[in-house]
Amino acid sequence: MMRQVAIIGAGMIPFGRRDEDTLLDMLAYASLKALDDAGMGDKGVDAVYVANMGAGILQHQTSVASALVDRLSLMPAAADAIENGPASGASAIKNGVLAVASGYYDYVLVAGGEKMREVVGWKATDFVCTMTHPEAEYPYGVTLPGMAGMFTRLYMEQYGLTREQLIAVAIKNQKMGSLNPNAHVEMIITKEGIADSPDSVVNNPMAADPLHLYDMCPVSDGAAAVILCPLELAKKVTKKTPVVVAGFGQATDTHTLQEREDPTDLKAVTLASRQAFEMAKLTPKDVDFAELHDAFTILEIAESEHAGFFKKGAGGKAVEKGETSLGGKLPINMSGGLKARGHPVGATGVAQVVDSVFQLRHELGKDRQVKGAKIGFTLNFGGFGNNVVAFVLTRAE
Amino acid sequence: MDEIKITAYKCKKCGRIHFPFHDRCLDCIARDFEEIKPEGPVRLLAFTEIYNLPWGFDVRTLKIGVVEFANKVKAMGQIDVDEMGDLKTGMKLTAYWEPVRKTADEDVFGLVFR
Repeated sequence: MMRQVAIIGAGMIPFGRRDEDTLLDMLAYASLKALDDAGMGDKGVDAVYVANMGAGILQHQTSVASALVDRLSLMPAAADAIENGPASGASAIKNGVLAVASGYYDYVLVAGGEKMREVVGWKATDFVCTMTHPEAEYPYGVTLPGMAGMFTRLYMEQYGLTREQLIAVAIKNQKMGSLNPNAHVEMIITKEGIADSPDSVVNNPMAADPLHLYDMCPVSDGAAAVILCPLELAKKVTKKTPVVVAGFGQATDTHTLQEREDPTDLKAVTLASRQAFEMAKLTPKDVDFAELHDAFTILEIAESEHAGFFKKGAGGKAVEKGETSLGGKLPINMSGGLKARGHPVGATGVAQVVDSVFQLRHELGKDRQVKGAKIGFTLNFGGFGNNVVAFVLTRAE
Repeated sequence: MDEIKITAYKCKKCGRIHFPFHDRCLDCIARDFEEIKPEGPVRLLAFTEIYNLPWGFDVRTLKIGVVEFANKVKAMGQIDVDEMGDLKTGMKLTAYWEPVRKTADEDVFGLVFR
């Protein structure tokens, strides 16, 4: 019988361009915030999982988990680095949850971090492209935004998705990011500024046809961390309301888009979400808010449909009608999402959970807090949907 | 014209065509494949134009597409047309084997559709 796992501490540092900090600095700062948030004091942890995608390429640094344990004086804790592309963060949490649920470890620190802004743009782009297939995709220069562009056009053709619906996602998430002190992008945008005025051609140029600059998340530095323990021990450590990892799921799909029978079908999103809901004995209708992986505006809409919140083709209309805004049927990305919070790839899956913990503990201001939130959902999307991790999180009363 | 130097793999058990290579069939997990070459004109399945390029390209933008050959092999490649308005999902194109990027001053060959 697996133990129920609680998140008793959550911390993150503001995402953005952090020239003054090393990757290890950022991981350490976020970890200390999570340890302090949990009220762990000087208590150690049994194990540390560090999510990071690119230190080996971007910083010429390996063994970041061992380095973090040393930096935080957490020896002799077990330490592992987890690399699963942009889904590294949620993968690391899933491994931490399994370790606690199994009874093997009681206290686990999971930290995710990435430092992407210290290299020039084309190097950062090339780094992210290393996720693509080395023979069938990478040589052609296809980027992840490029894949999203192809996906978007097909979605428009098959489901009637409109550019206005994508713009609505961008406007909503940048508005929420402007209210999040940890967000990379704090600028509110308008439809006039990015689509309807003569200046919009300059403000919002094409990035990967039919997607424009404001359909993309920024390239960010940042880190986030959580502390896990068995639910039965949680109240002995923290005075804050624990958050329970009620369900999780992970699924994979083909490496190349071309080998998917229907390239608009994000099977791994559907399967991972279904697993998470089944484990939690809940359904999408029970969820009070979601943090989805909107690296591109299209993904928020497509994921909201594939995770079961809306029927295929209905997600875009839901955004336009305000159903995914604060006060709507299902608020999505009240953190600003990747679009505004930023996307330091190894940190993102952890940051989604950290922001959900803040929501479930009812710690946010009125302008971002989902009233009475008890159940949250997160989805971390690796590659172009070839490795997806989902969580259902609940407030422990 | 250079021969298209990609090899696709047809499962000997169920007939599914794979590109790139897999050790086991994506449909029936059989391990025996017949090597086949892509043949005929191609049908454009998906396309985009990318403005922010990675390392290795000395051009302003790249048009990229996924196509299906007449013998059902699906593959990605670069598209050589003047305007995006010239492209439509489902249109017929011809595939060529040409330089697609440079690595260490050496041409890397791949699929180009026009």
